[in-house]
Amino acid sequence: MTADPAIAVSRLTKRYGSFVAVDGVTFDVRRGEAFGILGPNGAGKTTTLEMIEGLRRPDGGEVRVLGRPVWPNPQHVQELIGVQLQSTSLFDKLTATELLVLFARFYNRTDGGERASQALHLVGLEGKADAYPADMSGGQQQRLAIALALVHDPPVVFLDEPTTGLDPQARRNLWDVIRRVNQDGGKTVVLTTHYLEEAETLCERVAIMDSARIIALDTPAGLIASLAADARVSCTIDGEERLLYAADPQAAVTELLEQARRDGSTVENLSVRGPTLEDVFLKLTGREFRE
Amino acid sequence: MNLSSVAATTVAQLKMMFRRRITIFWSLVFPMILMTLLGLLFGRSIDAGTITVIDQAETAQSRQVVGILEHTKGLTVKTQPDDPSAAEKQVRDGDRDGVLVISQPSSGGPVTAQLFFSNASATQAGIIRGIVSGAVDKAAVLATGSPPAIRFEARSVDSSSLSYIDFLLPGIIALAIMISAVIGLATVLVDWRKRGILRRLKLTPMPLGEFFVSRIAASLVLATLQVVVLIVFGAVAFGIEISATAWAAIPVALAGALCFLAMGFCIGSLTSEPETADAVTNVITNPMMFLSGTFFPVAAMPAFVQQIAKILPLYYMANGLRDTIVRGLGLVHVLPDIGILLAVTAAFAVVSMRTFRWE
Repeated sequence: MTADPAIAVSRLTKRYGSFVAVDGVTFDVRRGEAFGILGPNGAGKTTTLEMIEGLRRPDGGEVRVLGRPVWPNPQHVQELIGVQLQSTSLFDKLTATELLVLFARFYNRTDGGERASQALHLVGLEGKADAYPADMSGGQQQRLAIALALVHDPPVVFLDEPTTGLDPQARRNLWDVIRRVNQDGGKTVVLTTHYLEEAETLCERVAIMDSARIIALDTPAGLIASLAADARVSCTIDGEERLLYAADPQAAVTELLEQARRDGSTVENLSVRGPTLEDVFLKLTGREFRE
Repeated sequence: MNLSSVAATTVAQLKMMFRRRITIFWSLVFPMILMTLLGLLFGRSIDAGTITVIDQAETAQSRQVVGILEHTKGLTVKTQPDDPSAAEKQVRDGDRDGVLVISQPSSGGPVTAQLFFSNASATQAGIIRGIVSGAVDKAAVLATGSPPAIRFEARSVDSSSLSYIDFLLPGIIALAIMISAVIGLATVLVDWRKRGILRRLKLTPMPLGEFFVSRIAASLVLATLQVVVLIVFGAVAFGIEISATAWAAIPVALAGALCFLAMGFCIGSLTSEPETADAVTNVITNPMMFLSGTFFPVAAMPAFVQQIAKILPLYYMANGLRDTIVRGLGLVHVLPDIGILLAVTAAFAVVSMRTFRWE
């Protein structure tokens, strides 16, 4: 067996006129990994994903899925990948099972009924087998979209902003589904998100994208460790906001308070917490990450 | 092309179509309603009206006149009130279309039949005058005991002696197929594109072309169903005599449906919003509906309208359906209509393929 990674992306570029949507992006996704592409809206996440999936032709660079080049013939990888697109609605007059059987047909699978019930089971939608998408909640519709991506049992699954627009409870339910697909289903999962918490909890490795480039790629813990800080200390001193990252929180806070006492300043809203990916983004770009 | 996959997808398409109540309404229920309304408005022989006859003379001839009037189809004859002035008032009030007073003048001389009518409705007045004077003349001829010197015959001059309702049925079928086919692809295509369904399908190994073939196949099934159901409706509800050649209406209907599906695909490719697609569809199909001889014979229209009709595909579908369903003409006779419809289909198909976008 070759040691090809699940996905190999090298110097991938996409331009729209003079606007560069994706600028020389390079990364590998390991087999069986849950890989996240995190970034604000407009960072180029979806365009990157669409070039890997074979929907959008790159202007430069190369993509391979399990060793097979995606371009110029994306149909060669269609069997290998399952895709849940951002904001796809489904045919609304077919039930969940009918949709799954139809999609299985598209992949020339004639055992659609069996596949449909397996996929529905994996995403926890057994109870909605005969329901129309229009009669499902937003979270259930997303789970159905994931089931459709799984119906031909592909080794690699792409999820484009799967939890956008869901309420917190539905989001957590969907996280469980994604974990099951990755761990129980043994599938390589690539997801894009603009929720920091989502990338942190779901992904083994995260690529942070901003302005068409990948600006960092590591495990969430590794990214946070790169800050070389155990704590994020923030407060307001005489109405002015202060933020500092401290390797030794105890010493930092003590010093901050003593300094304030010497100057006769007022310290308000003091908060000390462990750093998150949000802090990594701030450190890398100098901008707040807005969800 | 993977035929078993196309067949399975066609079945799914049919489910999607028939689960939408609005499809059933536009394709089958609306044509029936339209046909019933137009049939009631224009289809029956004109009601001649109601007159009061007051026979004061009571001679053999006057009774003969009354008898002839009573046997006139469409005319209702009343004998009350028997007071001429009260009867006249009813005419003035619009409760009767006329009153006929037959009297023997006290001064002697011939029996007179006087008809009082209102000019409020000139048409009705003309009809009543015609009927009454005809009845009086006929009674006079009968009184002479000799056969009439000239025999009068009336014949309708409209196309091949079809009654209006016979004419209407194929037109309604053509209209129904056009509406279902254009809407069935134009709005749907825009909707699928806009909602990302085409994008999602592009990620599967099924070529989009096969997907559209399955949609077209499902639409052709619907068109066939429309022909059969509406012919049965016409025969049962209106007693229309269906020609033995009516089976040849199906190839005409399929060619027509293909033509309008291709038109719908063009509209769907050239527009981006469902509302725009609907508007363009209406702008094209509504005038076509009136100019193509679906409701009224093209021959009855001004010459330049007749010229326009001959460049509209709906004209050829309506013509072909009429020839096969009610005129008793066979497949060979309508092959030119089918040929024209298929040629227009090809033209629309070329434009569609050039302009198709999946996003």
